[in-house]
Amino acid sequence: MEKRQQVKKMALRDTTGDKIFYTINAIVLGILALIVLYPLYFIVIAAISDPDAVLAGDVVLYPVRITMEGFAKIMERKDVWLGYRNTILYTALTVILSIIVTVPAGWALSRKTLPGQKAFMIYFIIPMFFGGGLIPFYNVMSSLGLVNTIWSIVLPAILSVWNLFMTKTFFQSSIPDTLIEAATIDGAGSFRIFGEVVLPLSKAIIAVMALYYAVGQWNSYFNAMIFLQNENLYPLQLVLKEILIASESTVGGSGETILQQYRLANQLKYVSVIVSSVPVLLLYPFVQKYFAQGVMIGSLKG
Amino acid sequence: MSEVVLKGLKKVYDNKVTAVHDVNLEIKDKEFIVLVGPSGCGKSTTLRMVAGLEEISDGELFIDGKLVNDVPPKDRDIAMVFQNYALYPHKTVYDNLAFALKLRKEPKDVIDKKVREVAEILDITQYLKRKPKALSGGQRQRVAIGRAMVRDPKVFLMDEPLSNLDAKLRNQMRAEIIKLRSRINTTFMYVTHDQTEAMTLGDRIVIMKDGYVNQIGTPQEVFNRPVNLFVAGFIGMPVMNFFDHCKLLLEDGVYYAEIRGVKFKLGDFQQKALKQNNAQPCDIVAGIRPQHVTVGEGELSAKIEVSEMMGSEYNIHARSGDDEVVMLIPTVDLTTDVSMGKTINFTTRPHLIQLFDRETGNNLIWYDAESATNNAPVCKRYDF
Amino acid sequence: MEAKTMKQPALTKKEKAPRKKMTREKRIRYFKDNSPYLLMILPAVLIVFLFNYLPIYGVLIAFQDFMPGDKILSDSTIWVGFQNFERFFSDPQFWPLMKNTFLICIIGFVIGFPLPIIVSLMLNAMKGKKTAKVLQTIFNGPHFISLVVLVGMLTLFFGRYGLVNNIAAHFGGERYSYFLESKAFRPMYILSSNWQDFGWSAIIYIAALSNVDPQQHEAAILDGATRFQRVMHVDLPAIMPMVSVMLIMSIGGLMGVGYEKALLMQTDGNLAVSELISTYVYKRGLTGVPDQAYATAIGLFNSIINVVLLIIANTTSKKFSENSLW
Repeated sequence: MEKRQQVKKMALRDTTGDKIFYTINAIVLGILALIVLYPLYFIVIAAISDPDAVLAGDVVLYPVRITMEGFAKIMERKDVWLGYRNTILYTALTVILSIIVTVPAGWALSRKTLPGQKAFMIYFIIPMFFGGGLIPFYNVMSSLGLVNTIWSIVLPAILSVWNLFMTKTFFQSSIPDTLIEAATIDGAGSFRIFGEVVLPLSKAIIAVMALYYAVGQWNSYFNAMIFLQNENLYPLQLVLKEILIASESTVGGSGETILQQYRLANQLKYVSVIVSSVPVLLLYPFVQKYFAQGVMIGSLKG
Repeated sequence: MSEVVLKGLKKVYDNKVTAVHDVNLEIKDKEFIVLVGPSGCGKSTTLRMVAGLEEISDGELFIDGKLVNDVPPKDRDIAMVFQNYALYPHKTVYDNLAFALKLRKEPKDVIDKKVREVAEILDITQYLKRKPKALSGGQRQRVAIGRAMVRDPKVFLMDEPLSNLDAKLRNQMRAEIIKLRSRINTTFMYVTHDQTEAMTLGDRIVIMKDGYVNQIGTPQEVFNRPVNLFVAGFIGMPVMNFFDHCKLLLEDGVYYAEIRGVKFKLGDFQQKALKQNNAQPCDIVAGIRPQHVTVGEGELSAKIEVSEMMGSEYNIHARSGDDEVVMLIPTVDLTTDVSMGKTINFTTRPHLIQLFDRETGNNLIWYDAESATNNAPVCKRYDF
Repeated sequence: MEAKTMKQPALTKKEKAPRKKMTREKRIRYFKDNSPYLLMILPAVLIVFLFNYLPIYGVLIAFQDFMPGDKILSDSTIWVGFQNFERFFSDPQFWPLMKNTFLICIIGFVIGFPLPIIVSLMLNAMKGKKTAKVLQTIFNGPHFISLVVLVGMLTLFFGRYGLVNNIAAHFGGERYSYFLESKAFRPMYILSSNWQDFGWSAIIYIAALSNVDPQQHEAAILDGATRFQRVMHVDLPAIMPMVSVMLIMSIGGLMGVGYEKALLMQTDGNLAVSELISTYVYKRGLTGVPDQAYATAIGLFNSIINVVLLIIANTTSKKFSENSLW
C-alpha cells in the first residue's frame, strides 16, 4: 500500500525541470497574449481619450481625459452609416444565397450515386489551384453587365470551393448511410430525403457556413473597390479605407493646420475602427467555437 | 402469398471482388429464414440485394412471384430493421413510425390507428412523444421494428438487429422477436453472425462463408447433419472437437473409424449410408461434439490443460496429441479428477462420430453432391 | 483446419449470356433516379463556371494584342504569341517585382510557418486547460479583423501621428511615417500578417494534438521523459503529417501573395519595395491606361509559377514521406 502511494506521489509531483518548462511556457504565451490584446486595447482607450493627449503620447496604458467626442462625430458621418447599411445588406444577401447554393451542392457531391461524381470533383478542384487572374475576372464581370451593381460583390462570393468541400465532408461523416437507406425503403425520394431528413440534421454545418460567408463578405473591400463607382453602394470597408488609410499615403507638408487635421482625423480613425468592429467583436466569443469546429470538420480530409 | 425466391443471385463489385456467389434459395410464405456466417461472408449483401439497396449483378429475385430485380425498394413491399436502428433523430417516435405511411399519402386517422396499434404491440406507447436520443437501446430497437411493422410488408428484413445490444438485452430481445413472429404472420429474412440466434429463431438456416452458401437446413439438420467441416465447426456451442489424421477403414464389409489408433465400429445407420455411397477407406477428420464425449472411461486419453467452471458443468480443455479436445462434465459428477495436468480417459458412442473427408472437408454421410452442384446445398436424404 | 467450401460447378444449369455493365435502359433509369442531385449541384456549377472558368478562358488575351471591347475569339483577334511575356521579362520592373514578391513570400513563410506550430505545441503543453482555451480565443481574435482595419491599425501605430511617433515626439524625437520608408514596409507587412494569422493557423494543429492518445504521454512519463521531451517525442511526431500537408500547400501558394494588403499599404515612399507582381498586374490592368493583355500575361506567369511550385512540393513530399496532397 505504501509503495503504491509513493509511486503515485512521484508521478504527480513535477520535477524542477518540468516546473521551469511550465513557467517559461506560460510566460511566453502570456506575452503573446499581451501582444495580441494590447493593440486592440489601445484603440479603445485612444478612442475615448482627448485627441491632444493621444497626439502627445500620453495615452499608453489608460485613457486620458475621457471624451465621447469622436463617437459623436462619427454619428454625423452619413457615408459611414450608408456603408454600414450596405454591408449589412450585402452580407445578408451573401449568406442567404450562399447557403442555398452551397449546402445542396455539398449534399449532392457527397452522394456516391451522383452521375459523374468524379468529374464534378475535378471540376471544382481545378479552380483551387489555377485561376484566370484579376483582369479576365474583371472582364467577365463587365461582359455580364454587372459592373457597378451590388451583384458584382455578392455573386462571386456565394460559392467558395473550400466551403463546398467542407460541407461535403460534413455530410459524409455525419449522416449515416443507413438512415438514408431507411428513408429510401420508407419510400422517400431524393428531394424529400434532403428536405426532411438531411436538412434538420445539418444545423451545425449551416451555422458554420453562414458564419464563414458572413465574415468573408463583411471584411471584403477589393471587389467593391474595382467594381463600384457609385458611392452610394460603397460597403463599410470601402468607407473605412478612405477614413483610415487614404491620408497616410502622401508625403505631408508641415504646419499647424496639417497637425490639426491629423489630430481630428486620427480620433475619427480610432472611433471608426471600433464602430465597424463592434458586431464582429460582440458576436466573436459566442461564435468562435463554431469557426474552430468548422476548421476541424474541414481538416478531416475530404 | 409472400414467398421470396433467389435464383443464382450474385454480387460483383466494381473492383472485380465477388461478394456473393450464386445464392439459390426458396423462402416459403411466412417462413423465418436466418442467414448466418462469419464477417464478410456475404449475408448482409444478400439481404441488401433483396431489399433493393444493392444492385443485383446477376441472377433473379422474385417476391410473391414477381421479378423485382429492377424494382426500387419502396415498391417491393418490404420493410427493413437496421443494425444501428437508423431512426430519424429529429423526429418523435410517433413521426418515425408514421413517416412511411405519410409518404404513401394515407389519411391521418388511418395512420394514427396503425401507429397506435403497433406501439401497443411493442409496448412503446408511452414513448410516442419522445425523440430517439431519449430512449435506451432496447427501446430504440423496438421503435425500429415498429417502423417496419407499420408498413405491413410482405417480407420483413432484419440486418443484425441485436448486435448492438448487450448480452442480457440480447437474450430478452430474442425472446421478444419470437413472440413478435407469432403476432405478425409474415415472411422473415434475418441476418446475424451469432449462431445461437440463428438456431433459436430460424425455421431454416442458411450458412454462408466467403460468399458461398454452405448449407441450408433446419436447426436440427445443421446441428446433427452438417455437410462439411465449416458448418460443423460453426454451429454448436462449445465448438465441435476435430481429430485430424484419422482413418476410415473397411474390413470385411464393416466400416470402422480409427481415432488415435483406437478403432470404433460405426453404427448401423452409418454402415448403411456409407455402403450406399460406396465409401472407400480414406483419411478423415473425425468430429465429436463436446456434449457427446463420455468422460472417464474408454481407450482414448488426453491431458487436461484448463478447466472452466461454468456453473452447472465444467468445460475441460484437454490435449490429445495435436488436437484440443473439449469435454463437458456436470459438476454434480464428483468422481473424476479434473485438476490441471491430469490425464483423463474419454470415449464416445460411435454413431455420434461425424466423418469428414480430409481433402475436401465434406461430410462422408451428409454431403449431397447434387444439391451442392445446384448451389442450394442441403443435407443428403436417406430413406432407411 | 480450413473447411473446404462449395466449389463452383463449371457449367450452371442455365446458360446465360454475360450481362453488359450497364444496359441502355439501366443507364437512363440511373440518370432519372439521380437527377435530383444534378439539380442540386447546378447552381454551384454555374457560379464556378461564371467566375472561375470563364476567366480562365479569358486568359487567352495574354497571347493577343487586346483592346478593351475586343472579342476574345473572333476573326479580328491579333495573336502575338509570347510577345507579352517577353515584354515582361525585359521590363525594368521585372527584377524588382520578382525580388519584392519573392522576399516577402520567403521571409513571411520562414517566420509565419513555424509560428503556429510552436504556439499550438505550447498551448497544448499548458497546465491550465481552461486558461489555454481562453488564450486560444484571444489568439483567434485578430483573424476576424478586416484587412482595411488591420492596415488602419498599422497607421494608427506607425503612421506619422501614430502611437510610436507620439511617444517618440514626447521624448523629443523625430516624427516620421514608417509608411514612407521602404525599409519599414516588409517588416510591417510580414509581422502584421503573422500577428493576424498565427492563432487561426494554429487551430488545425491544436485539433490534431487533442487527438493524441493520452496513454502515449503516460508511457513517456513512465519512461522518464520531461515535459519538454514529451513535446518533442509525442506531440511533435503526432502533428507531422498535418505539418507536411500544410507545408505543401504553403509552398504551392508561395508566390501567390495577393494584392489586397499590399495595395492598402503602398505609399509613394515605399513603392520600390511594396510593388509586387500582383499589385503591378492590378495597376497595369485596371488603372491608368489599361494594358489588359500585358497585365493578364503577367498574372498568368505568376499562376504558372504557383502551379509548378505546388507540383514540385507535392512530388518531393511523396518521395520523402508518405504525405502528399495527391
